[in-house]
Amino acid sequence: MSLLDVSGLVVNRAGVGVVRGTSVTAEAGQISVLLGANGAGKTTLLEGIAGIAPVAAGRVVLNGADLTRASPGDRARAGLALIEQGRTVFARLTTEENLRVSMDPETGPENAYALFPELRQRSGIAAGMLSGGEQQMLVIARALLARPRVLMIDEMSAGLAPVIVSRLMKAVRRLADEGMAVLLVEQFASLALAIGDRAYVLRRGGVVYEGGCDTLARDPERLHHLYLGDAPVGRGE
Amino acid sequence: MDGLLTAATAGLSAGGAYAILGVCAVFTYRLVAVVNFTGAAIGATGAFAMVALIEAGMAQFPAIVLGVLAGTLTATAIGVVMTRWFSGATASTKAAVTAALLVGMIAVGLRLTGGQDAHLFPAVAPGSAFRFAGVEVTNAGVLTVILAVVFTFAAETFLARTRTGLRLRALSERPMAAELMGIPVRRLAITVWMLTGAMTTVALIIIAPQRSPNFASMSLLVVPALAAALIGAFSSFRAALLGGLLIGIVEGLASGIDRFSQYRGAVPFIVILAVLLWSQRGARWDEAR
Repeated sequence: MSLLDVSGLVVNRAGVGVVRGTSVTAEAGQISVLLGANGAGKTTLLEGIAGIAPVAAGRVVLNGADLTRASPGDRARAGLALIEQGRTVFARLTTEENLRVSMDPETGPENAYALFPELRQRSGIAAGMLSGGEQQMLVIARALLARPRVLMIDEMSAGLAPVIVSRLMKAVRRLADEGMAVLLVEQFASLALAIGDRAYVLRRGGVVYEGGCDTLARDPERLHHLYLGDAPVGRGE
Repeated sequence: MDGLLTAATAGLSAGGAYAILGVCAVFTYRLVAVVNFTGAAIGATGAFAMVALIEAGMAQFPAIVLGVLAGTLTATAIGVVMTRWFSGATASTKAAVTAALLVGMIAVGLRLTGGQDAHLFPAVAPGSAFRFAGVEVTNAGVLTVILAVVFTFAAETFLARTRTGLRLRALSERPMAAELMGIPVRRLAITVWMLTGAMTTVALIIIAPQRSPNFASMSLLVVPALAAALIGAFSSFRAALLGGLLIGIVEGLASGIDRFSQYRGAVPFIVILAVLLWSQRGARWDEAR
């Protein structure tokens, strides 16, 4: 059984099916990458799993516990963390206060500073004053301190310099290597496939490809066709 | 001169209550993003519940405790409504909802309390505390000012120094991000409503004997409260505290001058207007340029 098992999920927006019976899984120590063109339903899928978007059908099961009807807060407390798009720092709180919001009072922010040492130098600064890259590091570090079992990250690279994106990708890989299950939505397919283990390509709310990241990374033409919709629905190695 | 000092000192008691209500308004706005028009009506509910119990023969102290409990429960009920059905609404929608609730509460409150029928509110802190420059300062005045100061600094310390305060500050900025981190958003928001409900009820119970004893006029004490909160830009507890005290003192002074005494109720409106005009000066200057 997978750590996170999402099966047949249906999420509607304004009566229109945005996610249509989608099934994905996430395993401890692995990164599952969700790819797809704009409007494919990637963000809505994550919101459905996190409980923000109401689910019309399907199941969300975390480590055997059915969370389909649980509130977003209950899902978070069960170990399901979502990092939303847009660097959702608490802007008026300092960097360290952002970290303290989620961390166990018994432990310090050291794990976060080990992952992103530059945050230590910026610990007393209001998070709203950090650069875009530092803010993204902060939200990842903040999620990490809550010690989730599954970390879902939505478009963390948006608007960031390539060198920062590369650092963030390495940090995410490190989290997975330490045992966390990661579900990554990413617009830069090549970067995501380079660090991912399992890939899903979504089109119009459904999965049109499921397989190893390396298989898809070796075949960019196929990926291109999967995005555009002129490749057959399939399963990779 | 002595007359003016007496009037200003008399206004201090009301100012203390305005300050508590104003700090509560800032607390509610900062933490659950609601401009709460029901603040004083919640306190009035508790104060009238206390009077009803005393009129039914209950001793004063348990009646006060139950009155505060009634105000707290009323605030909790409003908090449940706001968090359950309007948590995702805009600040203006939330304010409109509380304004509508205020109208409903006044209508129901007047009906249940007998409209203009006089009720005798017992003095919680009767007597004189001390004389200052020949003017008697009442226990009620001292008590409300002390409570306002204590509540202001307690609120600041709570938000700055405690884990729950930190989580409340996070919740006030990004409720969804806070919930996604497992913060019990709804429970904390309702706790804010409960706390402010209890404080406003205490304030109104103390100053009720000096006010017009009807439900509507007590509920409309929200106007000076919001004026005080506005002085603090709905952000600073200390400025709201000082604003509330200042409004009370100016009201007191106005009542001591024959020519202005009948307009003393307009003081909060003038303050609101002045603060809004002051806050808009930059925009008007930019527009003029």
